[in-house]
Amino acid sequence: MTVLPPDAVLVRSIAQWLPRQRWFGGKDGRRIDGLSIGTATELRPGDPGLHHLVLDVTQDGVTDRYQVLLGVRRDLPGRLRHAEIDVVADGRDEPKARLYDAAFDPALTRTLLTDLADGATVGPLRFHRVPGARIRTDLSSLPITGEQSNTSLLFGDAHICKLFRRLSRGVNLDLEVNLALTRDGCARVPAVLGWFELDPGRDGGAEPVTLGLLSDYLHTGADGWSLAIASVRDWYAHTPAPGEDEWAELDASAAGGDFAAEAQRLGAATAEVHGALADAFGVETVPARDVRAMAARMNEELTATCRTVPELAPHAKALTAAFVELAALADPLSVQRVHGDYHLGQVLRTESGWTLLDFEGEPARSPDERRALAHPLRDVAGMLRSFEYAARFLIAKPGTVPPESGPRLETRAQAWAARNRAAFCRGYAAGGGPDPAAHAALLRAFEFEKAVYEVRYEARHRPAWLPVPLGSLAHLTV
Amino acid sequence: MHVRPQISSGGASGRSDAPEPPDRTRRDEPAPASGPASEPAGGPAAGAVPGPVTGPSTGPVPDTFDEDAPRVPHWFKTAVFYEVSVRGFADSNNDGYGDLRGLISKLDHLQWLGIDCLWLLPIYQSPLKDGGYDIADYTAILPDFGELGDFVELIEQAHARGIRVIADLVMNHTSDQHPWFQASRTDPDGPYGDFYVWNDDDEKYPDARIIFVDTEQSNWTYDPVRGQYYWHRFFSHQPDLNYDNPAVQDAMLENLRFWLDLGIDGFRLDAVPYLYAREGTNCENLPETHAYLKRVRAEVDRLYPDRVLLAEANQWPADVVEYFGDPVTGGDECHMAFHFPVMPRIFMAVRREQRYPISEIMAQTPKIPENCQWGIFLRNHDELTLEMVTDEERDYMYAEYAKDPRMKANIGIRRRLAPLLDNDRNQLELFTALLLSLPGSPVLYYGDEIGMGDNIWLGDRDAVRTPMQWTSDRNGGFSQCDPAQLYLPVIMDPIYGYQAVNVEAQADNPGSLLHWTRRMIEIRQRHPVFGVGSYVELSSSNPSVLAFTREITEDESPWGRMDTILCVSNLSRFPQPVELDMRRFEGYSPVECMGGVQFPAIGELPYLLTLPGHGFYWFQLNPPENADAERVR
Repeated sequence: MTVLPPDAVLVRSIAQWLPRQRWFGGKDGRRIDGLSIGTATELRPGDPGLHHLVLDVTQDGVTDRYQVLLGVRRDLPGRLRHAEIDVVADGRDEPKARLYDAAFDPALTRTLLTDLADGATVGPLRFHRVPGARIRTDLSSLPITGEQSNTSLLFGDAHICKLFRRLSRGVNLDLEVNLALTRDGCARVPAVLGWFELDPGRDGGAEPVTLGLLSDYLHTGADGWSLAIASVRDWYAHTPAPGEDEWAELDASAAGGDFAAEAQRLGAATAEVHGALADAFGVETVPARDVRAMAARMNEELTATCRTVPELAPHAKALTAAFVELAALADPLSVQRVHGDYHLGQVLRTESGWTLLDFEGEPARSPDERRALAHPLRDVAGMLRSFEYAARFLIAKPGTVPPESGPRLETRAQAWAARNRAAFCRGYAAGGGPDPAAHAALLRAFEFEKAVYEVRYEARHRPAWLPVPLGSLAHLTV
Repeated sequence: MHVRPQISSGGASGRSDAPEPPDRTRRDEPAPASGPASEPAGGPAAGAVPGPVTGPSTGPVPDTFDEDAPRVPHWFKTAVFYEVSVRGFADSNNDGYGDLRGLISKLDHLQWLGIDCLWLLPIYQSPLKDGGYDIADYTAILPDFGELGDFVELIEQAHARGIRVIADLVMNHTSDQHPWFQASRTDPDGPYGDFYVWNDDDEKYPDARIIFVDTEQSNWTYDPVRGQYYWHRFFSHQPDLNYDNPAVQDAMLENLRFWLDLGIDGFRLDAVPYLYAREGTNCENLPETHAYLKRVRAEVDRLYPDRVLLAEANQWPADVVEYFGDPVTGGDECHMAFHFPVMPRIFMAVRREQRYPISEIMAQTPKIPENCQWGIFLRNHDELTLEMVTDEERDYMYAEYAKDPRMKANIGIRRRLAPLLDNDRNQLELFTALLLSLPGSPVLYYGDEIGMGDNIWLGDRDAVRTPMQWTSDRNGGFSQCDPAQLYLPVIMDPIYGYQAVNVEAQADNPGSLLHWTRRMIEIRQRHPVFGVGSYVELSSSNPSVLAFTREITEDESPWGRMDTILCVSNLSRFPQPVELDMRRFEGYSPVECMGGVQFPAIGELPYLLTLPGHGFYWFQLNPPENADAERVR
């Protein structure tokens, strides 16, 4: 029998472990001023035992809540040693107990599946199964490493459980959207099977806090970014036929790894999901003066960014012109729920077509901002930016291509991006979305807004990448 | 002399180089009283040497006319087929045309290669306006090929080597030279007056498409002799038989029985979807057609065990699956049918450097009845045309092909595999490995085992029907005749010409494509799971890598042992890493099938492999118990 050590011991152990976790949001040099156990719930007694913890972590006067699955074993097998948090005397002064991150222990994570399948309530934790969903409880989990703010557990090749590490108030956006789309029968998102949440009682009647989300795992899937990069790589290595001028404007359709048909299908899938979002959450109209205000905000961002990143200045005139053109549109704009952070990394190609993932919106924004309605072409603009990035990724990434071929490859990058942007827009319009060609000014403004953000971001965080958005803008503002 | 590999113990030893049973050739072996192939259906008897009921045979083909001979009704599920043009294979009498006696003289080569079944292009009396698919006499051999006695000799010699023989048969139509048609047009009231579909105008069945749009304007052609129009779905010199006439139904069964009585092992049934025509339909896949095929099948089952009917229905798999018949009975129409989209999808996947063209078609392929099997191929004597796959279900392929001029040209019927792949050995191997490992029985096209080229200056389908290249001697060893006398010139270009590419030279070179192909067939034969196992695609991090397993459990296995093969293919021309989620096989040891090298055991973390450009691996996955046993040993 293992028992959780007293809070004071536990807090000390976790305090030294927490800052080393990739998903811990407070790593930016701030000290942890306070750490306390918000809730502790035993999900599985015995050895190994599973305890669910919600931690309150205070830094600089702000308190964030984190979720931890804590495993307790008397002996930790070698394969779990890397997940060890601490070795402590247990509550009865008996031999030591070992604390570890239970996300790595399939023997413990299976408890989550059982509780979800049963729709169990354990202490303040409430587990839900979507009516009709079949949850397998015999699967072993594998944590997917490398995620920034969550930990996903892959159960067999059937289910995936996303554990939200830093908790936000209220129902998680991804859950809300996926549930609505699943209920609507939209096949372009992975079906939600269940979720679990923290009882709102503690917060005095507030909304429940989503802790985890279980959905179908699309095991044959690969993300759009890898597919696009495979296509670009093939296109860069394309050898022109004898007699063909290597420097000439190139026909990207000649590439064996052509992506255009995929881009077109992706456009259609995007339009389909936008339609489903409009059906599920409704459409509103914003007056023209709000559109003008939006254009003004875009231009302010531009001005501010030009001040900190002078390399952007040569493009400022063309960008401003696009925002002015947007402001001049007198029509009201219909807005709806959108993806919000749409790019090639958020879409998955499976054996039955494209699937859209991760409706959490931009991570940097607040939950309310993420729920804000927008015109669906904002997502389209996001994807167009992603094509621009994919086309230039291999040039920008140090060591992937010889530097001297850079200028020549920029020509190819333009040809690739142009071909796939056009195909995506064609598919989007054919799939029932607002035709990008008919809303060129709006789409351009959205795209330039995003590009300005990219310039700001790259200048601050990845200066080596600054040429990617700048190169793209140089081409697009001609 | 070729030693036929014994079925490996499917993981019992865990070593692909496990000692094989005493050498036995198919030729020398007496009737296999206890060999694996001779097990009665239903599983090996306790204590007997276990072997796959459906697995490759290790001895001669049992005599089907001997009622006491053991039966191997599902041989086709694990067979490797070889499509051969009698005209193009070997010429025994030096008249410039290949013939049956020539083919007989080359059976040793096919046995050495590991072929289980020959598929002969049409061998019947014909004016040859459509490569013999215009039959003028169903019960006579084309004189160029020999005579009936030669055919019987071919069957006997092939069977002695453990090779079965099936032949093309066209049920839908005949040549306009066929005596039935001549009688039908001249004597409308005679016994054959109603053998074809006649009408006073050309207005009936307007919804039936015209298949050969390049040459035909209508499915009806006026016959001045009879003064009526006759119905034809293909060329106007190929009138469709009228299957509403019971006499036609009986006559065709009679034809089938004629060849079955001579010992033929089955038929590839050409153009089966079109047997019946009905107003208001597209005249394809009609219930009446299926009913007649069921009748044919019942007749074969009743009198001729172990024979196979292979349907050529150039349709989408979801439609083709109907030709297997009722799943409840395990299938009561054709035993096999071609899976047409596999080939272009493989081609597309490698060109696009991503797996989805293949993953998608595999996901769209319906389950087939238990006792049935797909036939798959890379190249063929003719090919899927774009016109046949353009409807809403098929837009994927159309979109991909139609936009790419190179793809469009290559889907045509004029290229062989090697020129199609720029004679790139890595790609040739990758394509062949996929053919031999995807679900279905593979069909090799003659000459592709040595990477033969084509001659696109020859018209139509003749480009890929040039003489087989045996040696670097005159006419590539195909014939001793004056070169000008050959039915088609032998390939002579510097890359693919017979002096560079021929069986003799490659047989002497262990590194040749021929030896490589033989080795791969041998591995496939050792693992009947390739023929009967399930297909499960694995989760892989890299879209350029296709990874799947072929699996059979102990309970499902006709030979009583589980077997799991993992196939990993890099569809890109660049080297690629891949991380495979193989937790399901935690503790298993992968053993590479070509060399028997044991790879590190599978753990709970993603299994990392690196593959060279267009590289592939086949692994046998051995469960932990066996791995332990091996370690102890």
